[in-house]
Amino acid sequence: MSTSSLEMPLSSLRDAFDRVGKKQKLSISKSQEVIDQVRHEVEQALVDIQSDHVATWALVDIQSDDVATSPIDQRSILDELRNKLNMIAPLNQLEGSQKELNLSLNKYQKVLDKTLNPDISKAYRNVDFDPHTLHQIILNHFYREGLFDVADSLIQEAGEPEAISLRLKFVELHEILEAMKLRNLEPALQWVSENFEQLKECGLFLKLKLHKLQFVEILQKRCQADALDYAKTYLAPLASVHMDEIQKLMGCLLWVGKLDSSPYSELVDPSNWEKMTEEITEQFCSFLGQSSPSPLSVALAAGIEGLPTLLKLATVMAAKKQEWLAMKQLPVPVELGKEFQYHSIFVCPVSREQGSEENPPMLLPCGHVLCKHSIHKLSKNSTRSFKCPYCPQDASVTQCRQLFF
Amino acid sequence: MEMETDALPNGSSASSTTGSTTSAPATPTAAITAGAVSASALPSSKLTQLAESLKLEHQFLRVPFEHYKKTIRANHRIVEKEVSAVISGVAEAADSAELSRDDAVQQLNSLVSRLQGLKRKLEEGSRTEHLQAQRCRARLDHLESADAENLSEWNNIRLKRILVDYMLRMSYYDTAIKLAGSSSIQDFVDIDVFFEAKKVIEALQSKEVAPALAWCADNKSRLKKSKSKFEFQLRLQEFIELVRAENNMRAITYARKYLAPWGATHMKELQRVMATLAFKSNTECPTYKVLFEAKQWDYLVDQFKQEFCRLYGMTLEPLLNIYLQAGLSALKTPFCYEDDCTKEDPLSQESFRKLALPLPYSKQHHSKLVCYITKELMDTENPPLVLPNGYVYSTKALEEMAKKNDGRITCPRTGLVCNYTEVIKAYIS
Repeated sequence: MSTSSLEMPLSSLRDAFDRVGKKQKLSISKSQEVIDQVRHEVEQALVDIQSDHVATWALVDIQSDDVATSPIDQRSILDELRNKLNMIAPLNQLEGSQKELNLSLNKYQKVLDKTLNPDISKAYRNVDFDPHTLHQIILNHFYREGLFDVADSLIQEAGEPEAISLRLKFVELHEILEAMKLRNLEPALQWVSENFEQLKECGLFLKLKLHKLQFVEILQKRCQADALDYAKTYLAPLASVHMDEIQKLMGCLLWVGKLDSSPYSELVDPSNWEKMTEEITEQFCSFLGQSSPSPLSVALAAGIEGLPTLLKLATVMAAKKQEWLAMKQLPVPVELGKEFQYHSIFVCPVSREQGSEENPPMLLPCGHVLCKHSIHKLSKNSTRSFKCPYCPQDASVTQCRQLFF
Repeated sequence: MEMETDALPNGSSASSTTGSTTSAPATPTAAITAGAVSASALPSSKLTQLAESLKLEHQFLRVPFEHYKKTIRANHRIVEKEVSAVISGVAEAADSAELSRDDAVQQLNSLVSRLQGLKRKLEEGSRTEHLQAQRCRARLDHLESADAENLSEWNNIRLKRILVDYMLRMSYYDTAIKLAGSSSIQDFVDIDVFFEAKKVIEALQSKEVAPALAWCADNKSRLKKSKSKFEFQLRLQEFIELVRAENNMRAITYARKYLAPWGATHMKELQRVMATLAFKSNTECPTYKVLFEAKQWDYLVDQFKQEFCRLYGMTLEPLLNIYLQAGLSALKTPFCYEDDCTKEDPLSQESFRKLALPLPYSKQHHSKLVCYITKELMDTENPPLVLPNGYVYSTKALEEMAKKNDGRITCPRTGLVCNYTEVIKAYIS
């Protein structure tokens, strides 16, 4: 049960819409019925007029060509038709079913407005959101996602300058990833060698993991001999640093064809390839100085998580629009998942102030931490010793040390 | 209740959410319906968050619904009109004194074929209504389908929807279509609705008001309900164009017919524009110069976009801006703007920093500390430890370091070497 707090309301929404569907079908069939009724009457009148003609044919005036019904009969047929139509009251019928349909439509609207938030723009600030900057961000995201033609289209329609070098970089990433999908690690290995210097420690680890993966793949898909060749060429040079790993891999050779039932079964787990793909992507993006889900993805995910709180806040502050627009800091915390915590934020338990360069966190001898300003206050401007508000162990200003998170 | 250690923000596949020993699903039925895979269920906090975020999707359901209502209304009007015409056709024939029989037959036949035509139109209309109802249902289904297993895919689709919405708002139609096509989410975005707007917008940009006026006529009752003066503004612009072309007589006739009815509610504006009759289009008088500027057309385009969004229950700003602003503010700290800000933080990027400048900083009521080495939270389960030089790292990080180095710790930032026994525990609430 995933959306437990929303499942009930969503189902009432669905019910309301089902009702709309029913009423709509009724309305259509009523309309058809009405049309048929009217048509039937008109056609009947037609028949009557024309058959009347047959009956009175005998009374035809030989001298005139006009083989007419007596006008009075025709008139009365038409009158009768009009009366019949009045009785059927097609417009009333149509109105009736439409009214019912409208009622159900309105009901659905009401349920919709109740279940989901009708206005999520309440918290929006009308500040300058430069489109060009935004487009750069979006382009970066498209490149990261491999949506190169979408990016090109945006560049054209928005008149943005091309970002050729960035595009090339991500084209390279996607070539590597495409190859990995086909279990080919060549491009990945090449990238690692090309950037070995900057990758430092990481580079060595990556090389090892890639070769390991490729080795196991060869062992499974081809034969022992090929795998051995591969090991000699690529694993041997790494042996000095990663002896344990290499030995394990050599052990695999004994279980050719039965690796999944061997002690080394985890090596053939297909999720290893997924993990490797993720790791390469992370490394690559890190190299470009950005996060692996694109920065746009991250920022939007944070926004989706944080918007409900901001909307509540905006509603509470609805009467104080000026204050809302002018604030330099949000008055309440917006709780986000742990993954969005990139910086250490120290909040003094006494003053609730956030730590900063001028007001850093200080460690008391008892192990509790207060901000510098609070300590100054408690010690009456560093003149006296004071008790820690928490334990109450004595402390003096000189005993307090600045902390660096 | 912590379980995920380094889940990527978008939540990559289920593999990252293992071992939720402390957080059980809410009720026994929940446990059953949680479905097959369940050792990797998400913690209830994530599910609550998901439910909260679904509540933001009003536009997602409202827009196709408005479209549906509109089609129903239009179809009904046609039926009413035609049936009405048939009834009055009968009345006319019945009242006409000198109607020959042939004429009567002809008249009735024409009424019958009119009804036949109507029946066909009704069938067609019914099919369209059905399709639109299906789209509404498909979106309801999509909202209901969001759960623990497909969360990251569902979120990806949401991200794409938000971007398509942006492209449509900015009139980047090709990009919108390509993007929607790339994940086959055409049913989840409202390209067709925006195409309706496209016609009007492009006409206005070519200084034509006809499509805009037609749109106003189409939506007359709803615009009236919201007391919109958009039609009035269109008429005013047409008037100005007549004055610009020095067609003063025509302008006056036009004003009598189309502007006068608005006089009751918008007299001041009407008078101001009428006064342009006394000036030429190249006047330097500022009050009236502005009325002749080409910018007025851009203003009309903006007005239209606003009316359009309002009618369909869409936010005036693109969804992208709304969510992005919220995210930037929630993430913004003074530390983001420092040089050593980690690249994982979106605000380490120049472009994001620029956008976030006018936005308020986030606030915390409680300390949230991140270990420099492991990037994990330092809390009661993983308390912060202080080195002799005041630098702080997590217990996990230092324990591991000590294990690998004979009980010795080296501060990665200052190089100070000390013994694990020398570190002090800090108590931070």
